[in-house]
Amino acid sequence: MTDERYPIPTVHHRKRGRPSAVWIVPLIAVIAAGVLAVRSYLRNGPTIHITFDTADGIESGKSEVRYKNVPVGRVTRVDLSPDHQHIIATVQLTGGGAVVAATDSRFWVERPRIGVGGVSGLGTLLSGAYIGVDIGASKEKTKTFVGLERPPGVTNDQHGTRYRLSTNDAGSLAPQSPVYVQRQSVGSVLSVDLAKDGRTLDIEIFVAAPYDKFVTESTVFWNASGVDVTLDASGLRLNTESLATVVAGGIGFGPREGTPPTPAAKENARFRLYTDRRHAMAKPDTDPLALEMQFDEPIRGNAAGVNVELAGIHIGEVVDIVPDYDEATKLFHYDARATVYPDRLGPAYKKLVAEGARKGLSGPQMLQALVDRGLRAQVKSSNLLTGAYYIDLAFDPAAKPVKLAPKDGVWIVPTQRGGTDLMLQKVTDILAKVDRIPFEQIGGDVSNTARAASSLLGHLDANVVPAMQGVMTRAETAMGALKDSLAALRDNVAAPDSALQQTTRSTLEQLDRAAFSLRTLADYLSTHPEALLRGRDSGPEPKGAP
Amino acid sequence: MTRGIDVGLAPCESCELVVRTHHRAGLCPRCAEPVHHRKLLWRPRAWALLVAAAVLYIPANTLVMMHTEQFPQHRDDTIMSGILYLVNEDAWGLGLIVFTASIVVPLLKILALAVLLVTTSRHSRWRRRGRTTLYRVLEVVGHWSMLDVFVVALLAAVVQLGRFAAVEPGPAVLPFAGVVVLTMLASAAFDPRAIWDEEAYD
Repeated sequence: MTDERYPIPTVHHRKRGRPSAVWIVPLIAVIAAGVLAVRSYLRNGPTIHITFDTADGIESGKSEVRYKNVPVGRVTRVDLSPDHQHIIATVQLTGGGAVVAATDSRFWVERPRIGVGGVSGLGTLLSGAYIGVDIGASKEKTKTFVGLERPPGVTNDQHGTRYRLSTNDAGSLAPQSPVYVQRQSVGSVLSVDLAKDGRTLDIEIFVAAPYDKFVTESTVFWNASGVDVTLDASGLRLNTESLATVVAGGIGFGPREGTPPTPAAKENARFRLYTDRRHAMAKPDTDPLALEMQFDEPIRGNAAGVNVELAGIHIGEVVDIVPDYDEATKLFHYDARATVYPDRLGPAYKKLVAEGARKGLSGPQMLQALVDRGLRAQVKSSNLLTGAYYIDLAFDPAAKPVKLAPKDGVWIVPTQRGGTDLMLQKVTDILAKVDRIPFEQIGGDVSNTARAASSLLGHLDANVVPAMQGVMTRAETAMGALKDSLAALRDNVAAPDSALQQTTRSTLEQLDRAAFSLRTLADYLSTHPEALLRGRDSGPEPKGAP
Repeated sequence: MTRGIDVGLAPCESCELVVRTHHRAGLCPRCAEPVHHRKLLWRPRAWALLVAAAVLYIPANTLVMMHTEQFPQHRDDTIMSGILYLVNEDAWGLGLIVFTASIVVPLLKILALAVLLVTTSRHSRWRRRGRTTLYRVLEVVGHWSMLDVFVVALLAAVVQLGRFAAVEPGPAVLPFAGVVVLTMLASAAFDPRAIWDEEAYD
């Protein structure tokens, strides 16, 4: 069957039963695919969902998630939330970016922003918005986040401490407003929110390390916003932390003067935010005392906040004033309620307290003792121009003794009509006199006089002026005649050949001659006095005889 | 019909010397080329290469094929996202070509080879002539599947403008090339003569 002419091939005996070496190829392929898959899996971290109010600037497939400007993920989808109130950005994180999925991570959309604190996110003008992230410290991971609408004031990688401040009025404080110590900016305001009671404001601030160690339990914070203008004995002072605070507001803090060092405040410690540095530095008030004073005289204006002074020291403020009616006397009186801080009196208060303790007197008894010595409340004017006033607690030894009657735990201080009242009375009297001056009548008289003068002038105008014109014409004629007369007179008198001149000249010549003869006679008589008796000597004729 | 294998004769594929094989494979006594009735180990080789190609087909399609930097944005494209991008840009024709060359053809090659291997192993008599034609088509079409790799290689070489515009090949390029090469090798390892065998000759 087999043709012997054909050669037999060289035969290699192969071992059988073993899987062919070619299966290494799919093995390698599987390994390669596996490596690629693992790499790809590692490259692609978890997918997270972030809720924002708006998708402004976020583009699916393009917008990145960046931590410290390093891309850690990419927005793959943007959807509306089920309630249509928000948007949900689905973000595919990279393998290295998986750490951003910590439960306390914060996300926000980085857009170009211009504020008083500066300009940020300019790069996003070109590259488009991106989602910034601040990686949280938590070890737990989550997949859903609620994004912030604006970048957080401080990120977790910044070292420092947060504190909480309470105030009634935040002024122009806003997130990013700086925090100053000794005029150095050391932190910023993170948030300004209404407290739960809706009356006060909660301000969260951040003080960067190492300055946070200066925030101790006795540190006081004050609102450094705007300009503080003070006019005092040393002149006009203008005080501001920095020019930026005028616009952006700011918070200053520092130790209250004269307080011993206290331990550093803890994170999130609560402080009060004072309205300004002066208030912050003022000693804290303790032992508030509620007083009530019944004044017969009306107290005008906004009474709340009116100062209460004792011996010239401002020890408290009026809380409110309530008008009241006394059925017995059928008179109104005014109940002024005030809160005073007796410890503002300093050593005096301490001594009083010590004295009371020594004598075993209770508080009301102490007050009674003071009242017995003449302590009375008076309303006094502090500024006559503006009508500002204060309540002065002063001792009047002549005051009638009063027995104290406590009312609802409020101590009632007897009152006295104050100097203001008397002064006001005088001023009122003067005003009344001024009022009695018949300005109206005077005005009427003046008016009548003016009217008579006016009619007189009118009469002159109508009758006298035309007559005057005739007079003037005639006067003019008279003047012309006078002028002619004068000319004639001059011709008669002053001309060299006038008769008067001739006569005058000859008369003068005769007079001259007469004088010469007299002189000759006198000369002769002086030399020949005998001639008076004997007559003239027959001597030579006096020369020049006329 | 009498086949070479039935009379123990086989031609050397290199020098055409007809040798008595005694149902055994061996080297041609004249030119030392392997002489065999059926390609050596065609079945395990074809299967192994086919499996490898199928495995690599997955990363080739899911991983990033091309990384495009176009300031200020950059994008990563898989084969499919690239095709969708072309379609979105109204380049329907181009998208169709890439889709055919990069997704359909490799997939069809893998499926067709699998069909051939399965039917041949079971000595099926089903449409033997049609399956032979299918095999020839596979051999011809195989060369044209590298289109994607060429496109990426070309763009990566040409478009290099620093950070403003740059194209870089992604990790899917190697598996994709692997799919193409492995399917070609698998179809080369397959012996179409086995389609006609009634029993196994290995």
